This record gives sequence, structure tokens and C-alpha cells, in this order.
Amino acid sequence: MMEHIRTPKVENVRLIDRMAPRKAMVGTLYLSATHTIFVENNPETRRETWVLHSMVASVERPPTTPSGSHLVVHTKNFQVVQLLIPQERDAMDVQASLARLSRPEKYSELYCLSINPNANKEEREESWSFLDLQADYRRMGVPNNLWVSTPANSEYRVCDTYPSELFVPKSATPPVIVGSSKFRSRGRLPVLTYFHQDTLAAICRCSQPLSGFSARSQEDEQMLEAIMKSNPGSDYIYVVDTRPKLNAMANRAAGKGYENEDHYANIKLQFIGIENIHVMRNSQQKIIDVGELKTPSMGDFLWGLESSGWLKHIKAVLDAGVFIAKAVAEEGISVVVHCSDGWDRTAQACSVASVLLEPYYRTMKGLMLLIERDWVSFGHKFSHRYNHLEGDPKEVSPVIDQFLECVWQLSEQFPCAFEFNERFLVQLHRHVYSCQYGNFLGNSQKERRDMGLRERTHSLWPQLWKDRAQYANPLYRADHTQTQGMLRPNTTPYCFKMWKGMYNRVEKSSPPRQTPTDLLTAVREETQQLEEELTNHQERIAALTKADQTKGNAGQRKINKVCEEECRPGGLAPPTGDGPFTSPPQGYSPSQGGPPGSAMTLPLGPPKGPGPDPDDLSSACSDMESGVADLSSRSSSGGDDSKDPDEAVYCTA
Amino acid sequence: MASASIPVYSSSNNPLENSSSHNASRESLKMEPLADCSLLPGEERIIDKDIIYICPFSGALKGKVFITNYRLYFKSTDALLFAYLSQEKFEENGWSVYKPMEEFRRQGLPNDKWRVTFINANYELCDTYPTILVVPFKATEEDLRKVCTFRSRGRIPVLSWIHRENQAVICRCSQPLVGMSGKRNKDDERYLDLIREANGTAKLTIYDARPSVNAVANKATGGGYEGDDAYQNAELVFLDIHNIHVMRESLKKLKDIVYPNVEESHWLSSLESTHWLEHIKLVISGAIQVADKISGGNSVVVHCSDGWDRTAQLTSLAMLMLDSHYRTLRGFQVLLEKEWISFGHKFANRIGHGDKNHADQDRSPIFVQFIDCVWQMTKQFPTAFEFNERLLVTILDHLFSCRFGTFLFNCERARDTNELRSKTVSLWSLVNSDLSFYQNPFYTPESNRVLYPVASMRHLELWVTYYIRWNPRIRQQQQSPVEQRYIELLALRDEYLKKLEELQLSDSSPNSSHLSNSSTPNAASPTQHITHLHTPF
Repeated sequence: MMEHIRTPKVENVRLIDRMAPRKAMVGTLYLSATHTIFVENNPETRRETWVLHSMVASVERPPTTPSGSHLVVHTKNFQVVQLLIPQERDAMDVQASLARLSRPEKYSELYCLSINPNANKEEREESWSFLDLQADYRRMGVPNNLWVSTPANSEYRVCDTYPSELFVPKSATPPVIVGSSKFRSRGRLPVLTYFHQDTLAAICRCSQPLSGFSARSQEDEQMLEAIMKSNPGSDYIYVVDTRPKLNAMANRAAGKGYENEDHYANIKLQFIGIENIHVMRNSQQKIIDVGELKTPSMGDFLWGLESSGWLKHIKAVLDAGVFIAKAVAEEGISVVVHCSDGWDRTAQACSVASVLLEPYYRTMKGLMLLIERDWVSFGHKFSHRYNHLEGDPKEVSPVIDQFLECVWQLSEQFPCAFEFNERFLVQLHRHVYSCQYGNFLGNSQKERRDMGLRERTHSLWPQLWKDRAQYANPLYRADHTQTQGMLRPNTTPYCFKMWKGMYNRVEKSSPPRQTPTDLLTAVREETQQLEEELTNHQERIAALTKADQTKGNAGQRKINKVCEEECRPGGLAPPTGDGPFTSPPQGYSPSQGGPPGSAMTLPLGPPKGPGPDPDDLSSACSDMESGVADLSSRSSSGGDDSKDPDEAVYCTA
Repeated sequence: MASASIPVYSSSNNPLENSSSHNASRESLKMEPLADCSLLPGEERIIDKDIIYICPFSGALKGKVFITNYRLYFKSTDALLFAYLSQEKFEENGWSVYKPMEEFRRQGLPNDKWRVTFINANYELCDTYPTILVVPFKATEEDLRKVCTFRSRGRIPVLSWIHRENQAVICRCSQPLVGMSGKRNKDDERYLDLIREANGTAKLTIYDARPSVNAVANKATGGGYEGDDAYQNAELVFLDIHNIHVMRESLKKLKDIVYPNVEESHWLSSLESTHWLEHIKLVISGAIQVADKISGGNSVVVHCSDGWDRTAQLTSLAMLMLDSHYRTLRGFQVLLEKEWISFGHKFANRIGHGDKNHADQDRSPIFVQFIDCVWQMTKQFPTAFEFNERLLVTILDHLFSCRFGTFLFNCERARDTNELRSKTVSLWSLVNSDLSFYQNPFYTPESNRVLYPVASMRHLELWVTYYIRWNPRIRQQQQSPVEQRYIELLALRDEYLKKLEELQLSDSSPNSSHLSNSSTPNAASPTQHITHLHTPF
């Protein structure tokens, strides 16, 4: 990639704050093989702003002004970086370099594949075993006497965009499986994606049938019949076509379409009306524009929001999930879900339904598994949809963005139901686009296997898990009512809000404010520390009582006489602590600056505990203090107007 | 009516009506039908008797008739507002929440630039103002009287708030009586210059809350605004906030889209068509401008037409942004008592307590709008306010309920004559008897922080939990899960701290004193520990 960098370094560049254009940082701009880096000149702060090349959506260069050339960099996660470069020539070079660097032509140019895969070989291998999809099926109780695993697709011969391991009704014979797949667009036959253990109802997914105006397939009809029979209590199934009915009808002309209720016994067909990827792409562009308006009037904003149609589309996706979840949990009826190819709207509807149905998918690990199952393994075309490589712009569409937003809208309605916070969703969104990890490369399981991604890249999941503390929702409690059972969201239009954490981050961070969530997190961590401290003490007391009571008491009395409060080794010092606590007093009390006589009053002041202190208690104590101090620094950095390092394209080194 | 030839004054069944007549009292010689019939000089009471008066308009009314040597006077005894009948008892007496002198002293007044005047002790200068006013030190009582003639309804510029450090002040008043001919008044001009001079501000900023067109139009009825040439050391800024009629219609439209059904198909554009949030935005951004000027050390004068609607919104919101005291539970009560109640926001006319005429042109949700603005601020600064949403909703509920005397009548004078404080209970008695119910657990006191909310449309929200609370789907949670969880955690932490402390004590080691010392502050005030989390604005 280095050869595409026309100019590696430009000095005296201004990074302009879009909300306050007069506030600008002066610094140096560097172009590396992977990042654009801006380093502030101010020697005190030297703030760094990093933008990963693969996150760059576009670079605009408005007409040159007397003060220089502006470059406006839009990122794929809807942030805007505005630079002012003194020399027009430099600006053109940077623009041209970025234009090429941000549009890789081969997978090998992507960040995750530019790292030596064997540098951390063990870690890499381990990272891929972090999630186990099969274990999640087992958690759902699959396979069982109703649903079995079929080896039919083990070599991706039945369907090359499906995972190798599929679950089908026990009564579905191989000819039925193959026959059904032949009657479905791209061979995506109906297979199980979610099984509800209480009602025994299942969610199955597939693509549209190749029914045209009159075609039928006995095997496909038998397949749906078998799905119905796999749910002993029911005498029909729902077939949810997530498309608007008109679109589905139009597809018949191309030899596709939807299930004819006359041919399939015992199905109830339901259209949901989620629009196609092209509509969604345009709609998202409009809501991005609304988020970037500088000072919108009420009309600009509300009309812009409404005419973008975005929240209406989010509602449609959520409604699809609600319909499926209700059918499965309340009616106990199995549902077969499809759209056209069964990898966009179907993935949305099925995964939203899972989130509504199953508390586990509202945990961090659960959501990872859900994405791994309904999106990654079932062949959602990540590389096409999120433009990982320079490709057909008509294939690009914010499909998973909408799923993540549905989850966010739900978390607004049910603040205690999710283990993760908004930041987790924003981070997931970023990684879908960034290609820093190998998880979302390619368009199907087969493609990823052929690329050998597991051997060449790292997996994102353990990384997110490692940082889970910052993604935790402090309100989440496993025992809260919202955490139990099914979520029944209100989907009337006024309940949907613009996701400012996604589409309007600049304004969201100003005014600097502290959210209740930050406070909650702080107190929660403090409580946890205290709890640990308490346990420690209780354990130690128990140990001491057992070990040597007399000795401890004697030691304690001795210290009392010395009146060295600050050293407080006391009876709580570990039995081995005799040595260490004899020396510190001399080194320690002078640092308090008080004459020995005033030692008694010193403890009233705030505990100052620098320097090595062998004593466990005081260190436990200062741990508590420093724990909070750490929190504070994190919290305030999140609160002030500097870019949150966790967020999006910005990563501060 | 038989008694046509006798001047009959039927005190309406609503004692509030009387108060509105005070405002007009300068024009005509209307008599004051007081509690027990106040008499004109020379008038003598001859008889009084309990009777039933068959009113041709509202039917039978129980009451008392007074006959004097001059008139027949009927005072109804039934249909008193409930606040006068309420027998509720509370531990706290809410009427003692606001003591004007104490509040001025808290602000550091009087000082060498500003003095307290009792010129209005008998409501002679201005009948809709409170009795205690703060005016420039250099302005004599005579000056005040002269200025009074040039301000609509005698509402002269007086001090509302002073910035402790830079001594910049917020003054409030009504429009100057400029009229079509563009009258000038030397005394008024000099008076405003005294305000400017008090802290050495180079230019006094006058915020006229109205759209400039309306201000111009007001000239036709004798009002107007401060002209450039007359007020050389002042700049005039119009804040484009619309009048009470526009606000009333806006809220009516909002009601139509949320009740009885919540608009579904075009929710956002319907919401837009009400313009409610746009009005909220203008009010908030007006207040931000005021607060910003003050922070910059410049004194400001705020007025609208009469200075009791938009002016109250702007001054009180700006004070809320500037002074953290008003963001406390009791401070907020003081703010309402001071800027709204004592300065004569016409609650009786705006709300229409006990009045059947719902279509009255005087009705307007100005105070509701203000509380909405406060709610918007609490959303943007969840840790800055000691009170929670419940307080705001409670205030609005009792704005209409007539259970408490707090929001009755138009001005202090009417409250005095109707003995409001002795005969009714204050809303603050209820609130202050159960403070914890209204407390925001996330409150973190920061005394010097000025709040500048974002008045961007993207950050203003419809107050769904108030306007759509009739809808069962808007779950009326006793307590928000967020608050609840926080309170639980705080309790848990305190419990741990206590246990730890006990452990230390039972060990009777010298450590205990240290640990308890380091931990008690936490336990006493959970928030202290995290105050430094805040980034100063």
C-alpha cells in the first residue's frame, strides 16, 4: 500500500471542529499504510487523531480558499473530519492517496490481512475458538428428537452460501432436502435458526421459492410440512415473507415469488413490508444528512427525519421481529421466514426475533453468537454490503446497521434488559466496516474458509470480551423483570428516536456531560471493590483467628503505643508481615510533614498514601481511592469534548 | 333584575376575578369587594345577611349580602376554590420557603451599587409587582416614580439576579410606552444607564423577547421598544418568541396529535406542524443568550410586552443556568416563588382557576412551557438538578388542581387581599414534607457550573411522559429503573462501608480510626466522591 501514498507528511494542517469552526488544532498530518494520523502541535496535549483507511467513505475537497484547501473526510461510521491544508498541492496529494488507500482492490490490502498472522499464533488460534456456534444450538436443545443435524451441506454442495452444518426436521429425508433446495433461490432451503424450548416452536429461514406463476415442488411442500410436524402441538405454520407484497408478486415474473397457499397445506402467509436494500441505502444517506445539518430548524430536522423514512424502516424490521416472536412464544406456532435471497431482511427479522425471545441474546456473548449465527454463518454478504473492496455500489446497503439500531431502540425502551451498552453496538458497527479483524470478510462461510481467514487473521470477539468492562450496561441485572422472558416493545412511531450516538456524535458529546450511566458504572465498580475488600478482610480475620491470636494481639498493642497511625500495620498484618512493617514508619511519617506529637490527629486528614506501603489494609484502602480516581479519569475523558477514544474511527495512541 | 337602579356588585363566585381587576384599577374606580366588604371613605355598612341570590347567569348562589349607605353588595360563600377549604396538614410550612430579603441577601444584596426599596410596600408604584424591589443605588424614589410612568403597567426595570463575581445583573421590566410618536423619557433612559453603569458594562443589552414585528406593532397601542437613538449605551436584541396566543394554539395542536389517539402515520411531520418544540427551542436559546451575556460580565434588561410571561420564562431559565442554587429542590421553589409568583405572572388568567370560560383569550400555557424547558434541561444535564421529573409533573398537576394556594391569583397584592397565605396550604408544604420522593439520585452539586443546554432541534424531545402519560403504554414507572438501580447500589455501598468500619472497630486496631475517617465522607454523601468526575464546562 505504501506505493499509493503520494505524500507521507504535511505540516501546519488544521483540524477543524465542525461545531465551532474557529476552534482548530494545528498539527501535522501523516499518511501511513493503514491510517491517516493527525498529531497536534501543542506540546502539552499533542492529541492524536487516527483514521483507519478502510473507514474512509469519501474525501471531498471544496474549492480552495485563501487560507488553504479544505479536505472533508466522511467515515463509514458517519463521522466527519475536516482538515485545512495550506498548500493546494498537498491537499490534492492527500486526497488522491486517500482515494486509493480507502478503496482496496484485493482482500490482501485490508488491515487484518496486513499483519503477520504468526506473530501471535497461539492467541490467533485461540481467538477463533472463543465462540462455539454448535454449543449455542445445544444450549437451545438442538439436536433433539424433532430437529437433527444433516451432513448434506458439509462440503457446501447443496448451498454454497449456507453454513456446513444445518439443522432440519427429523422427518426430512435427503431427497426432500435436496429437492427443496432446488426449488429455492440460490439453493437456500428452509433450515432451523432458532428453537423455542418451551413451546417447541421453531424459526426457520430460507430464500424465496422458485414458484413463478404456477411451478411447485413436492419436496419443498414436504419440507414445510415436515417443519410443521416438528412442532407437535400445532396444525399450521406461518410463512413470513418480509418483503412488501408488491415486490413479492413482481418476483413471480422472474420465476420466483412466494408460496401459493393452495399448494402448501397448512401455511399462513404473512407479508411484512420491509423495503429492499436500495431503498434502505438511500434512506440512510438522508438520515446521515440530517445528522450533519449544522443548525437545523425544527422543520429541517423533523421533516428531514420523516422524509428520510429511516425510522419507518427500523419500525418495519422491528415489527417483523415482533410478529415472529409472538407467533413462536405466544401462539406456539413455527415460522418460516424469507425475503428474496434470504440473507438480508431474513437475517434482520430472525435475529431481531431472537433478541426479543431469548434473554441470552441480550448479553454480550449472546449477541456475538447471534451475529455469528444469523449473519456470518448464514451468508450475509458482508463484503458486498459494507463495501470492503471496491465493488458494485448497488450491492452496498446498511442491513446490519438496521439490526444494530433495532437493538438500540429496544435498549431505550428496556434499559435494564441488555448486558451491553450503546458503545458496544457502536463498536460492533465500526468493526463490520473496518476489517481490522477477519470475522466479517467475505460473503459466506465457504468464502472465508477458502481464504483461510482463520489462519491469516484474528477474531474480533475475544477482543471485545476483553474490554467488556467498558461495554457493560450498569443497569443490567440477570434477575430484573426486563431480563426475563420475551420483550414486548411498543412500536408506535413516537417510540422511535434518531440514534444520536450513531448519526450525530459531534453534538452528542457537547455539552460535556455526565450521564447517569457513568455514575452508575462508577458506583457499581466502587461497590464491587468494597465487596472484595470486605471479603478479603473477613477471610483474613478468619485466618488470623485460627492462626495465632495471641501474637496478633500483642503486636497490635505494641503498635498502639507507637502511635504511628499512618503505618497501620496492626493486627491485620499478615503473619509474615513482621519484617516489612518495622522499616516503613521512619520513611513514612516525615512525608506527612507533622511532628510526632501530632500523629494522633493526622488520620483525620485525607489519607495520603504515596510511596511503598507494605501494609495490606492501607493499600486496600488506597486501592479504593485510586480505583475511583481511575474511573474519574476515564469518565471525564469520555465527558469532555475530546473525541472519545472508544468511539469509531478515532483511536488515540 | 329588580335591583337595576342600585349599584350591585355581585362578587363572582370566583375570588380570583377580583385580582384581575387590580390591574385595571388605575383606569377606573372599581371597588374592591374584599373578604368582608371593604368600604369607601364615608361609606357605612347598614346590614349584612345570609341569603340565596338567584343569579340570572349562574343560578342559585349562597352568600352574604351587605347593604351600605352607597351600595348593595353580594358575596358568594359557596364555590370557593378548594384550596380555601382544604384541611390538609403538613410538617412543613411551604409559605416560608421564599423570603425575598433572604434571597437577596444570598445573592449579596444590597451592596454599594444596588439598594432595596420599599416604595412598593403598598403596591402603589406597581400593583402587579412584589413589595420588595432592588434598584440601582443611585436611583432615587422620585426617579422610580418617573420611570414608572413610562413602563407598561408601571413595571419598571428591577433587579432579578446579580452575578457574584462580575456583578452583572439581570433586570426585568415591561415594554416602554413609546407609542406611535416615538416618545422618549429622559428618566427611563437615565435609569437604564444607571443599571449599565453599576458594574461598568460598556453596553447594556436589552433583550426584547418578542419578534421585532410584534414589538413594532405594539407601538400602535402605546407600547414599543427602546430606540437606538434614545438609549445610546444599549443594544436591543429581539428574541423572536411568540405571544401567548401562538403558544396556546401550539399546545392545542400538540394535544390534537397525542389525544385521544397518538398520531401514527406522520408522527414527525405532525409534531413539526405543532411548532411546540420550535417554541421551546426559541425560549431556551433566548435564555442561553441572557446567561451568556451575564457570564461575560454584561448586565442585561429583559422585557416583553407586560413583562410577566415571556420575561418570566427568560429570566428564570437564565437564572437556572447561571445559579446552581436554583437547581436544588428548595432553590427551585424559591425561583418559582420569586420570578413567577411574586413578579405577577397572571396564573389566574392564564390557567383560569375556577373559571368556566375555557375559551378565554387570556389562557395560555406559558408556565407549562417553562416547566417543559426545565425538563429539557434536566434531560441534558442529568446530574445538575437536585429534583427529578416527578417534581415537575407534580408542579404541573397542582398548577391546575387548586388544591394548594401556590398558583392562585395573578399577583401578590391579590394574594394579600385574599389572605392566601393564612387560608390555604402551599404546594411546597406537600413537597417539602416528602423531599426524598422528589430527589434526583444522580444529583452532584457543582456550585460554579453554568449550564448551557444545547438548543439544537436534535436535542429537544417531546416530553412524552407528561403529554402522553394518559396512554397506558407509557408506563408510569414509580421510579425509573435507572434511578432505582443507582439508589440500590448506593445503599449497597454504604452497607459495605459500614461493615468494613465495624470490622475495623471490632479489631480495635489503630487502623480503624483511619479507615473510618477516610470512608465516612463517602457514606455521608455518596456523591462527593465523584464530584471530580465532572468536566467543568
